[in-house]
Amino acid sequence: MSVASLLAAADTVPAPDVEWSALSPFLVVVVGACLLLPIAGLLPRRTRVAWSALFTIAVALGAIGASAWVWHDLSRVGPTERTTVAGAYAVDKFSLFLIVVICVGVILATLLTEGYLRREDLPGAEAYLLYLASASGAIIMVTAADLIVLFIGLEVLSIAAYVLAGLHRRRLRSGEAALKYFVLGGFSSAFFLYGVALIYGATGTTNLVGIAEYLATHRLLDEGLLLAGIGLLIVGFAFKVGGVPFHVWTPDVYQGSPSPVVAFMASVVKAAAFAGMLRVVVVALSTHRLDWQPILYAIAVLSMIVGAVLAVVQSDVKRMLAYSSINHAGFMLAAVSTGADEGIAAVLFYLAAYTVLIGGTFGIVTLFGRRGDGHHDIDDYRGLARREPFLALALTIFLLAQAGTPLTAGFLAKFYVIQAVVDAGSWWLGLVAMLAATISAFLYLRIVLTMYAGVTDADVEVAEPTAEPVRRIHVPLGAKVAIAAALVLTIAIGVVPDPLTHASRTARPELVAPGD
Amino acid sequence: MTLLAAANGISLPGTDDPINVSQTVGFALLAALMIWAAIRVVTTRNVVHAAVWLVVVLAGAAAQFILLAAEFVGVTQVMVYIGAVIVLILFGVMLTQAKLGNDPNLSRRNWYGGAVVAVVLFGLLAFATIDTFEDAKLPEDRRMALPAAEVGDGEVPRTESNTGAVSDAVFGAYLLPLEVLGVLLTAALVGAIAVARKD
Repeated sequence: MSVASLLAAADTVPAPDVEWSALSPFLVVVVGACLLLPIAGLLPRRTRVAWSALFTIAVALGAIGASAWVWHDLSRVGPTERTTVAGAYAVDKFSLFLIVVICVGVILATLLTEGYLRREDLPGAEAYLLYLASASGAIIMVTAADLIVLFIGLEVLSIAAYVLAGLHRRRLRSGEAALKYFVLGGFSSAFFLYGVALIYGATGTTNLVGIAEYLATHRLLDEGLLLAGIGLLIVGFAFKVGGVPFHVWTPDVYQGSPSPVVAFMASVVKAAAFAGMLRVVVVALSTHRLDWQPILYAIAVLSMIVGAVLAVVQSDVKRMLAYSSINHAGFMLAAVSTGADEGIAAVLFYLAAYTVLIGGTFGIVTLFGRRGDGHHDIDDYRGLARREPFLALALTIFLLAQAGTPLTAGFLAKFYVIQAVVDAGSWWLGLVAMLAATISAFLYLRIVLTMYAGVTDADVEVAEPTAEPVRRIHVPLGAKVAIAAALVLTIAIGVVPDPLTHASRTARPELVAPGD
Repeated sequence: MTLLAAANGISLPGTDDPINVSQTVGFALLAALMIWAAIRVVTTRNVVHAAVWLVVVLAGAAAQFILLAAEFVGVTQVMVYIGAVIVLILFGVMLTQAKLGNDPNLSRRNWYGGAVVAVVLFGLLAFATIDTFEDAKLPEDRRMALPAAEVGDGEVPRTESNTGAVSDAVFGAYLLPLEVLGVLLTAALVGAIAVARKD
């Protein structure tokens, strides 16, 4: 074949249409990560201003801006959803809502990480780069309209998260957490991929629209392949959100990982996994609701109960919060298992509120950990309110919000879940949810009481003359901003929930057919 | 009969074609070379020699792919396995200060277990291949034709090479996954450096 005929043939390669504006949130994050690579390399090792962190926050804000622009565009122009790049990337309000949640998670984690890295004397930059890379994987997961794309997004998200867990290389526990997360996460990815393969075998396509259409128009003679595929997909998702019985990694990884990274894992990874679960299981496989509903129902009940009960018996605060995150995942799974629009809206609201709460909570836990990130035993929290009144007050508010106290973001999150569950007719699930909420409230109150009532006045007077004066905790600027922002948002969402409620109700996941 | 043919009620493509003699002879020569090299991999007493014999096996596999007109897979085999995997093995051997010369203790005493696994695997693969394809032969012209629907009026149906079909898929339907895989590799690379580097 001559060169001329080769060149002539080059024009005939059918390239898919790429709608760049719809891709913009993803592109902002990826291009930002690629720019951060040389920028961080050119900066000196220690700078007074944390340029890498500032750049990461700017990128995340840019992605939020791009999402807001696309959201506005979708509302104005017409169809509320569109697809691009040969039907692999679906843009609807659901994905845009979650992209904003993911970026907020990145911003909070970055603010906390800045002070953490300085305190622990760790080299920076790669943490921020991995945050951005992980977030780009999360964005792919929330927008994927194809199971293959979803899987690659899951891998991008996870691989960066494995490394983040082991960021503190001098701490043995951090490496242990990274290895455990990596090995078990690799297993769950394999389960997920096998599920994708089985569903492809049953329906002949990996595209979500194609799967839904095939299942709506065909009746399978032998459903074994499809049901096994659905089951394996649920295993993969449940691992990522930490649902019982796929939760065993959570306490160890949360305890060992650097505290700011835990805030990132708990918010961004959960948001992405729940997005995939909602779009694939609830929407694309809606014809088989009767098959997957009992599985999710069981995982939700187990997660709520096991998470709440085991959290109470822990003595390490980070482990407690890990079990409480399992409990929270159970609440969201209960809303998912309804398979109704109200349930989806409740999950979205919960994810948004939880991202803010967990960012604030782990922000303060990071500070209380002190240098070495090791002071997380419940006894270390004794009497903290006396020495650090403001931090203790903030942690109290975050924990009460996690327990679901009215006038905070956590109350409405739990309220909407129970409302959706009861509307769907699952009285028992609602009852279990309320019971679990009560048990976990005991856990949060235990931490709060330890902080306020741990040391009696007599103890202090006896101890004071001899004991070394305990140094006040230094609060870096980034952590101040993050905690203050999380505090304001927690209260604001609790007092004026309407904008978020409205947004979460509008953001319904759609199956977007390619080519329109 | 076979699974595929029984399901579709038609015979597999190429069942009635004449045997392509030169291709069959080429296959036999390559297969003999590969088997001999594979045996040398496990019997040689020198680690580096074993790695180099493995190159012969993998190159033979690449040659078989090219013989089957799967030139894309063949080139990939050369680049990934001979280019990367073997280099990794050799680096691994050199960097871990293993003995480079002959080592009489190279074989483990319980190599029988590995042999049993290999024989069982061979039996399974042979059974699956023979059961599926029985007496099917490869068609003479294995180029892929575009579906008739994509060919306009008056055009001769354009035949496409396998590599062309792969590129159409990669830069068409799978464009986004391809790009995201780039992000995945970047993340893995940064992660590897973050894990491995010393302060």
